[in-house]
Amino acid sequence: MIDTEAIMDVLREIPDPEMPISIVDLGLVEDVRIETNGDSAVVSIDILPTFVGCPALPMIETEIRTKVGAVEGVGEVSVRFIYDPPWSVDRISDEGRQSLAAHGVTVPEHGSKLDVPGHGSTVELRTSAIACPFCGSNETRLDSQFGPTRCRMIYYCEACKNSFEHMKRV
Amino acid sequence: MDSLPENLKQPMIDLLLAVADDKLMLGHRNSDWTGLGPILEEDIAFSSLAQDEIAHAQVIYELLSPLVGKTADELAYGRSVDQYRCAQIVELPDDFDWAVAIARQFFCDHFDRLRLRALSHSSYKPLADVASRLAAEEQVHVDHVDAWIVRLGRGNDESKRRLQTALDQLSPMAPMLFEPVDREAELTAAGLYPQAETDMFHAWRDVLQHVAHEGGLALELSPPNAGAQGGRRGHHSEHLKSLLDEMCEVYRLEPGVAW
Repeated sequence: MIDTEAIMDVLREIPDPEMPISIVDLGLVEDVRIETNGDSAVVSIDILPTFVGCPALPMIETEIRTKVGAVEGVGEVSVRFIYDPPWSVDRISDEGRQSLAAHGVTVPEHGSKLDVPGHGSTVELRTSAIACPFCGSNETRLDSQFGPTRCRMIYYCEACKNSFEHMKRV
Repeated sequence: MDSLPENLKQPMIDLLLAVADDKLMLGHRNSDWTGLGPILEEDIAFSSLAQDEIAHAQVIYELLSPLVGKTADELAYGRSVDQYRCAQIVELPDDFDWAVAIARQFFCDHFDRLRLRALSHSSYKPLADVASRLAAEEQVHVDHVDAWIVRLGRGNDESKRRLQTALDQLSPMAPMLFEPVDREAELTAAGLYPQAETDMFHAWRDVLQHVAHEGGLALELSPPNAGAQGGRRGHHSEHLKSLLDEMCEVYRLEPGVAW
């Protein structure tokens, strides 16, 4: 008999292709449903994409199908990408945040709004109050709003002279 | 609702094509800067903008796919020029003038964000879900371009003069982004595209003028003339044909084949 927790344990072992944390810690897994059909189970998994059309999605889907499909008693795996509810950085777990920080990636504070109202923040050519993940200094500045993947920006720490990445506030 | 009333399918198809075609052409123009950006960060930025816009276009073409019985690729690459619904401003080459690229982005990103926010309240749920996600992503584009408008406006005489020239060049055509698709009013009345047309234009003009003024730049914008026909009804500039000839060159060799 397979239960949801057993499937979640398998999903916790699947890293995001572009982030050093699991897809569970990243908050991508919205729902796991199991239908038992005789001695074989159908497992349906709902995934929330971080960014629309993210090129990592097909890799994530293949990994899920392979790993979950290998669990004894699983006959069929279906993976669905849905946009309701929308993924947001608030779905990243505390463990995930710590692990990202250790790799030099910071995450907007919990509770930040999905919808940034107005445009006021943009007109002051910004300095940031984002603490450097390496030395903790607040003397950091936005270097580039676009980075190595679609979900990350690049900051620079004036104190320890390191670049670090910050996840976009979506 | 999860499905569309039969009689409103055609205007909804045109509207979704307008959204996706704007994004596809703008994304293609953005990708021109890959390897040629004026600084490394902007090379990365325009490459990311291209990736975002083309991914956004793809997800909208996928929404369209069951409505028109064509694949996303067929929709993106397999139509004749007059079947596209993009506004003419996204068709223009910028001739690698950074000021023109930024000015175009300014008009288009703000419009796109407002349109997506309106669509995120659509009564057609598959569209509302996607639009709400896309609007959040588009916010990053708006922040990026606003910062450049102010930075160039406050930069030096040359950066200010060149950006002002680009804004003056594009501001007469930019309001045609608001040209409605055929029967758009019926979509609005049915709650499928909730927007008060004039309010959306005014919101757009106000925010653009506010940012331009922060940069010490002048910007005049008038609503499009009622009855003016442009890209939303299939009337395009000569540039769209050459853009498509380049973009679709490989697809047309053998349509439908997996490369």
